[in-house]
Amino acid sequence: MGSIEGIITGFQTAFSLQGILFVSIGVLVGTIIGMLPGLGPITAIAVMIPVTFGMDPSSALIMMAGVYYGAVFGGSTSSILLNAPGISGTVATAFDGYPMAQRGEAGKALAIAAIASFVGGTVSVFLLMALAPALSSVAVSFGPPAYFALMFMGLTAISSLSEGSTLKALISAVVGFMVATIGIDGQSGTPRFTFGNSNLMEGLDFLVIALGLFALAEVTTLIINRKDSSMSKNKELGSLRLSKNDLNEMKGPVTRQSFLGFIIGVLPGAGATIASFISYIMEKRLAKNPEEFGKGSIKGLAAPESSNNAATSGAFVPLLSLGIPGSGTTAVMLGAFLVLGIQPGPLLMTDRPEIFWGIIASMYIGNIFLLILNLPLIPYFAKILQIPRPLLISLVIMFSMIGVYSISFNTFDLYMLLLFGVVGFLMRLFAFPAPPFILAFILGGMMEQSFRQSLTISNGDLMIFINDPIALSLIIVALLTFVFPIIKQIRAKKR
Amino acid sequence: MKKFLLLLSFSFVLILAACGGDNGGDGGDEGGDDGEAAGEDGEETAWEPEQSIEFVAPAGAGGGWDTTARMTAQVFNEEGIIEEDIGVINREGGGGAVGWSYIAGQDGSNHHMFVGSPPLLLVPLNGQAEQTYEDFTPIANLIADYAAFAVRADAEWDTMDELFEDMREDPSSVTVVGTSSPGSMDHIQFVQIADAADVDITEIRYVSDQEGGALTQLLNGSVDVFSTGVAETIEQVRAGEIKVLGVTSEERLEGEVLEDFPTMIEQGIDSTFINWRGFFGPPNMDEEAVTYYQEKFRELSDSEAFGEIRDQYGWNEMYMEGEEYQNFLEEQNSEMEALLNELGLGEGE
Repeated sequence: MGSIEGIITGFQTAFSLQGILFVSIGVLVGTIIGMLPGLGPITAIAVMIPVTFGMDPSSALIMMAGVYYGAVFGGSTSSILLNAPGISGTVATAFDGYPMAQRGEAGKALAIAAIASFVGGTVSVFLLMALAPALSSVAVSFGPPAYFALMFMGLTAISSLSEGSTLKALISAVVGFMVATIGIDGQSGTPRFTFGNSNLMEGLDFLVIALGLFALAEVTTLIINRKDSSMSKNKELGSLRLSKNDLNEMKGPVTRQSFLGFIIGVLPGAGATIASFISYIMEKRLAKNPEEFGKGSIKGLAAPESSNNAATSGAFVPLLSLGIPGSGTTAVMLGAFLVLGIQPGPLLMTDRPEIFWGIIASMYIGNIFLLILNLPLIPYFAKILQIPRPLLISLVIMFSMIGVYSISFNTFDLYMLLLFGVVGFLMRLFAFPAPPFILAFILGGMMEQSFRQSLTISNGDLMIFINDPIALSLIIVALLTFVFPIIKQIRAKKR
Repeated sequence: MKKFLLLLSFSFVLILAACGGDNGGDGGDEGGDDGEAAGEDGEETAWEPEQSIEFVAPAGAGGGWDTTARMTAQVFNEEGIIEEDIGVINREGGGGAVGWSYIAGQDGSNHHMFVGSPPLLLVPLNGQAEQTYEDFTPIANLIADYAAFAVRADAEWDTMDELFEDMREDPSSVTVVGTSSPGSMDHIQFVQIADAADVDITEIRYVSDQEGGALTQLLNGSVDVFSTGVAETIEQVRAGEIKVLGVTSEERLEGEVLEDFPTMIEQGIDSTFINWRGFFGPPNMDEEAVTYYQEKFRELSDSEAFGEIRDQYGWNEMYMEGEEYQNFLEEQNSEMEALLNELGLGEGE
């Protein structure tokens, strides 16, 4: 019963004084960095790597893991209060969280996000502990065709993310795709749309687009509408307390999406962003009143929040049990392991059980810590909204710039941020929705790469998408979700 | 108001910087400690650093370039080989191009350098960087790493020759995956060996997965061969998931698991691929400064402390400087250029 012994060793490591101390430092640093708009887990982990030099590996990694999920936990705050998502995983949080805060229910929104995150985090740690060794085979079951199909399924979300004109939503998505192709093409090594500018070689970073389209566009709107009296309303924090009704409404989405988020998180490459989008869409489809989504729906906020935190724990499955980093963030995490001389992989569990199980066990403590840390502080966070508007606007601009600059310390990115701020503002002015743009940008790059990888493998034969059972079933699901609403509409009209 | 915000943002950036650089000074401010400048006593002394030194890793934290820079800086300072503080900073982007541009902008500085390796030749040859290796001042090479080609444990091939036998018949029957883009290291290291084994390299199917899924693709059977670094294969070999058909070093490597990997040469393919790693300074670095650093790097390379680091990360000693290094780089560069041209990936299209 090696694994039971391993689990016990893990708990001993995690619940030692040192373990508790480092996990609390980790989640504290993580939430603080995550809360700042523009700074997310990648920055948080990168900042902490040099700190861990020479530390005992198990304490160091428990701390780093805490930094990671702490940052995802904290990331929702700036999405909700300022419409400035710090990480791609909390873009969907802003869809309903920000309108809720605007309505004067900032406290409630933050409380819902904290509870949904906590449940998502805790449920997924249970799943991680029970299934990590078994799930490693699921993590490698997805080949390029299956990834293409998964991204394709995510894309069907465009239709549900758009309010108003479908045509405008599609235009917005197409532009998002086009922007995603900028940079050196992964499959041929050719620079595309770089205009000979070496700053564009790497393509545009997600943050540049998200902060431009959401945060800067929002700020511009605020500046232009500054005389509008309705603007003063959202200064209120509102009650923190959730009514029984609220909790009932949360129950369904939070439970479902904790599981779904975890599964999607296990797939390398999919991660918290795609998990949060798919969860959002799924809840919208399931909801009795989907028209509330995007206007401050509790379900629309709870779903992505539980899902992105669950996906974060899910991402540890391929990282720990296979040594495969599933995202940019886990790649930096893998770097942190290697710096400490630990090689994650199939043997980590038996070779270094105190590390493998220690990290997982420490997540229980970490999640409880995050809840205790976040709930009582909500009134203070929400005070942000009471900062005089001119100062708040300047702060948002400043933090957006710091966040973007910290990606690669390149001033060119700042110009791009401003450019997308203007684009975002114009899109608002002419009622082009921004969510389809950002969704297409996030999914587009991966979708194209996995499509072309598949075709390289199959020598150009499109049947590869039909012969792969996972890909085929995902494509069918995607088509069904696309066709059903249309059939429904036609039926409704006939009646 | 504006000033206040500016101040605020500056202080924040400074806090971040302070968190980032664990070696204290990160060499950010040039006009720092002028007062302590050496050589003011009129005596003609050899050149010595006058301020903190900056090592640039042209990639993110945790990668090969970053680890080399940090470990070198650590041993330099801990062993007292160089007294001045050495700060390591990451300048990520463009497969290294962003970091190289930054160093090129420090023209004539004696206190900046970066870690280079084969991509310093390949990325410019692919037309993806403004500078080439010739724009920089080579200081010294420190270590060597090698490529490994892995297949699934249950694959039909047991040796490189069996694999190439199939590929000579139909080069496109085998799919190779790597983490770098076509024309960069993972691709070229395989192409070079295949070329030596008389495979038609223009027909080789290479899939690039930069999202970290390359190993996944090998394990789930999407592709046949994984072209990677030696260190990346050890865990999976020990777990019995994959087997390494060959490594590109001249002689067998030392260490558990590693010693079991056959070289190309012993399998009858007369070719090697070296993932060398060394330090380069900005254009027009003073000769005296280069001499100073070479002496220090030699001392570092011979030190016991750095030997331990090499063992820990599975690196091999490969010290070169001066003309020897220069010639080595030229030779490597023309070899790479020839391969890229044959593939039709070179800049001169």
